[in-house]
This record gives sequence, structure tokens and C-alpha cells, in this order.
Amino acid sequence: MSSKLTRKAGLYALILQFAIATFPPMALAGLIQTPEAIAAQQHELSRQQLSEAVAREDVQQQLVELGVDPAMALERIAVLTDAEIAQLNHRIDNLPAGAGVLEVIGVVFVVLLILELVGVTNIFSKF
Amino acid sequence: MSRLAGILLVLALTGCAGTGPVLSPHLPADSPGTAVELRDTPFFAQTDYQCGPAALAMLLEAAGSRVTPTDLVPAVYLPARQGSLQLELIAATRRHGRLPYVIEPLISVLLEELRAGRPVLLLQNLGLRSHPVWHYAVAVGYRPDADEIILRSGTTRRKLVDASRFMRTWENAGAWGLLVMRPGELPARVDPGAYIRAAADLESVGQIRAAYQTYAAATAHWPDNATAWFGLGNTRYHLGELEVAEHAYRQALRADPGYLAAHNNLAMLLAERGCYPAALDALEHALEVSQPGDALHGTLLETRREVIQQMAGNGTAAGTACTPMPSDN
Repeated sequence: MSSKLTRKAGLYALILQFAIATFPPMALAGLIQTPEAIAAQQHELSRQQLSEAVAREDVQQQLVELGVDPAMALERIAVLTDAEIAQLNHRIDNLPAGAGVLEVIGVVFVVLLILELVGVTNIFSKF
Repeated sequence: MSRLAGILLVLALTGCAGTGPVLSPHLPADSPGTAVELRDTPFFAQTDYQCGPAALAMLLEAAGSRVTPTDLVPAVYLPARQGSLQLELIAATRRHGRLPYVIEPLISVLLEELRAGRPVLLLQNLGLRSHPVWHYAVAVGYRPDADEIILRSGTTRRKLVDASRFMRTWENAGAWGLLVMRPGELPARVDPGAYIRAAADLESVGQIRAAYQTYAAATAHWPDNATAWFGLGNTRYHLGELEVAEHAYRQALRADPGYLAAHNNLAMLLAERGCYPAALDALEHALEVSQPGDALHGTLLETRREVIQQMAGNGTAAGTACTPMPSDN
């Protein structure tokens, strides 16, 4: 087989793989698939998710490096009002969907959000 | 300028000296000195640059899937790059009906999984940060007394690597580690969100049965997780088991009464049985709590339109046919 033909065959194989990987196996019209439901939900960063984020070792490390006491961050999150959480969600509304909150926006971003919540920085007012 | 660089270089070189043991601070206090080695983990020596297929084959085989590196080469090896991409390793795992789970990027988690009897596929950077040399290997154990990690790597069946050296190569590769699990298994340290998303990814590539088993494990472990119940409902629906699906959707709504997608799919299922009033009830309820800006609001309206159309065409099933199935207990 000429290398051009091989490459073409490879390309088709790749496209086929992509097609298999991307589309649901069968479409029951109107049924909401699980990934779709997850995507619809994950822009809502809840109080619980925030607390879980602070509880993560890597987030805590970052906070400590920036001179913030993780226990204080946790306390502050516990007393956030729903309006404040909504405000926070508004900020991450324009971020891409895909994986979970931490995976999408990243540890550093969560740390920055928390820093602002506890009043250490106010970078987001510049956005 | 070059002098400054020289000083920085000296600082960087001396900065590494005199570190203590790497592993022991991350081991459980009650058994810090116990070595772990998963001797039964199969070994495939890599050929050429194909460490990705070899490493993945070891993990797939360890998870009960019969496969050789040669089988995997077309799926995960990029000849032009002389390597494999992490995402392709993950996708290939799914194609074999196994659950890929990327661990939290911490040495403590890696050691915990090894203690739980699970080998971990690792990405290492054997070169420099600026000139990376990527390599996949499989961690199969550790020896706290010698401060070493035990790897299956390249053509070496049992490679002992000094832990501090290992940490450098692993952290320079983002501390990336992958578990390959039989569906229904749970990692030693597991994040419910990540685990359920992993199940949803299996579902979306058509591995319905494997996804179902994963959701079932998730609902057993986190009975109040609405998404896990919802996924269980969807996979059962796909497998044609409508009674179990209905029960699962109701469980999702018990855990989270505002779960719009569960209202929607429950309504679809009820309509399929001819229970149009009950279906419309579910939709009305969902429309009440949702906002026009919600991602699923449009879908709910569309489903309602469809159900009304079907009802006009078919008439409603009578009486007892529309009690919840199976009766909740």
C-alpha cells in the first residue's frame, strides 16, 4: 500500500473512532442522557462543593502558601449567603463545560475564588 | 545576567541536598514500614517506543481483560509522536469495558491504591521540564525501608526507583496516574463526582452494561446522590428494563426533588406506558421549579408538547396500570 493510501485509511479509522466515541449508541428521542444532565448541573457550584474544594490537600497547600488559614476559609464559606453563592456562580457561568468544577476551572482558580470570598484579594472586580 | 543565572543554578543544585525519606510521611501511622508489592501484575516488555500500549495492556489484563500490547497499538500509539496520549489510553480502557479513573495527583493517593491491591499506570517525565521525555510505567508497589517505588517499566519487569527521583519524574508529568477497574469496583480514595462522570463517559460510548454496574456501585455507596440514581435509570432504560429504570428515577427525585432531567425522563417512561396524566404531572412539577434560563427548560417544554401529542393520538391507559412501578419500599 502506498503511504498516501495508508494515511488515508488511518484518517478514516480515526474519523470512525471519533464518531463512535462521540455519539450516544442509540437515541431514545427526548430522553436526557446522563452526560447532558451532568453538564446542565455543574455550573452550579454549591456550598458543599466549595467546602469539599477547601478540604482537598492540594487546595489547602495553595492556600497556606498564599498565607491563608484553610480553617478560616472553611468557616467563611459556611456562612456565605445564598446570594453570595449565586454571585460566585455568576462568575463561573462563562467557563467551559466538560468535567467537574475542579477539573474545569482548576485548583488555582478555586483558590482565587476562595481568596476573594475571604476578603484577601479582589481580582474579580477587575473582570 | 549570566552571573545571576549561575547563582540560581548553584542554588537549584544545592537546594536538593539533604531531603529525608519521601514515602514514610505518606504511609499510615499503624503500619509505616510495611512494603507492598503486587507480584501478580502481568508484565509486557515494551517494544520500540511503545510504552503506552504495554503499560495499558498490563493494567487491562490485571483488571481481567485479555489483551496484548499489539492489540492496543492501533488504538493508542501515534507513530509520528512515538508515543500515546493520556486521553487515548483512557478511551481505549473504555472500549474494553473497563472503568478508567484518574487519581488525585498525590503520592499519598498512589500509595493508598497500591495498598488496596491496584496497580497504577503513571506518566513520567524522564527528561527536563523544558525538554520532556515522556514515559508510561506501571507502579506495582513500594518499599518504605529502602524508600523505593517498584515499577514495571520499559523492558524491566521489576524496576526499583529511588522515591525522591521517582517523585521528580512523576511530578514533572503532572503527577498523572490512571486506574483501570472492573465496572462496579471503587477506588480506595474516590470523589463521587469524578466517579459518576467516569460512569457517564462509559455510557456515552455505548458501554451501557459497564456503565450500569458503575452506577449501581455508586448508588450503593452514595444512596443520596441523585446523579448516580439518574444514570442507573438511564442505563436500565437503554437495557429495556423499565421497572428498574422507573424506580431509579424516583430515587433520584427523592434525593433531589429539583432534578429536572429525572422529571423529564420519568415523564418519557410514563408516557411510554400510556400514563399520560402522570407524565404531565411530572413535567408540570419540573417546569414549576425551573427557570426559562435553565439549560433543560426547553427540553422540558418539548417533552410536554410530545406527551400531549401522543395522548391525543393514543388515549390514556386505564386505572391501575399507572401506579408507580415497582411499588417503592
